[in-house]
Amino acid sequence: MRLGAVEHRHRLPERLKLILIRLVSGRRVPDVVKTLLYRPEFFGRAMCEWTQAVMRGPSAWSVGERELFAAFTSRLNQCVF
Amino acid sequence: MGTMGDPGGRYAAYTARLMDGVLTRPGHTPPELRRAIVARAAGGPSFPLSGTERGTGGEDLAAYVDTVAQHAYRVTDEHLGRLRQAGHSDDSLFEMTVSAALGAALGRLERGLAALRGESSPLDPLSASSSPPVPLSALGPHPLSPSPFGRGGTQE
Repeated sequence: MRLGAVEHRHRLPERLKLILIRLVSGRRVPDVVKTLLYRPEFFGRAMCEWTQAVMRGPSAWSVGERELFAAFTSRLNQCVF
Repeated sequence: MGTMGDPGGRYAAYTARLMDGVLTRPGHTPPELRRAIVARAAGGPSFPLSGTERGTGGEDLAAYVDTVAQHAYRVTDEHLGRLRQAGHSDDSLFEMTVSAALGAALGRLERGLAALRGESSPLDPLSASSSPPVPLSALGPHPLSPSPFGRGGTQE
């Protein structure tokens, strides 16, 4: 299920980004991206910075290993990664 | 809140910024309600929302928060329909959902870090109401122990 606002009512800069993503990828924009771009000052911007640091920042773990942890966790949460 | 997050850790500043946005930004829900939702999602159903959710369909809201925190894949249109009938806008529901998800994530993070420190972690508030978690020992070597092969990304 989806919230109408998060699905369709992004502000103009974010709406333009979504259109661009759709044009470049040729696919429907994933829900997680729509969520991150909805009112990004509330949640999405800080979440993206956090994710970037954890998943791509300096670490003893390789990027691939970290992605594997994320996929495993998502599987336990029954949330397709 | 003092027990949550990653105090002193590498990501503490990122976590603090995330919390700051969700807990203090002006929005469509009062910050006190968002704080109560984060605490409940992190600590379990024994954390009441009462007093913060007056007139907002309190029982439905508590059930919704617990569902998002424990098994988000079970959220249905019906859950949100009831909350909409109680007068919540999509923006309110967005803020409450994000608060519940953030609280659940921070609660798990804190329990995981406590386990890595060898501390007896507070009882998982979710384990009483859901199936027991898969013991990590069943998966072979501890998945979060440092890689014995020293491969991987940049070292600290």
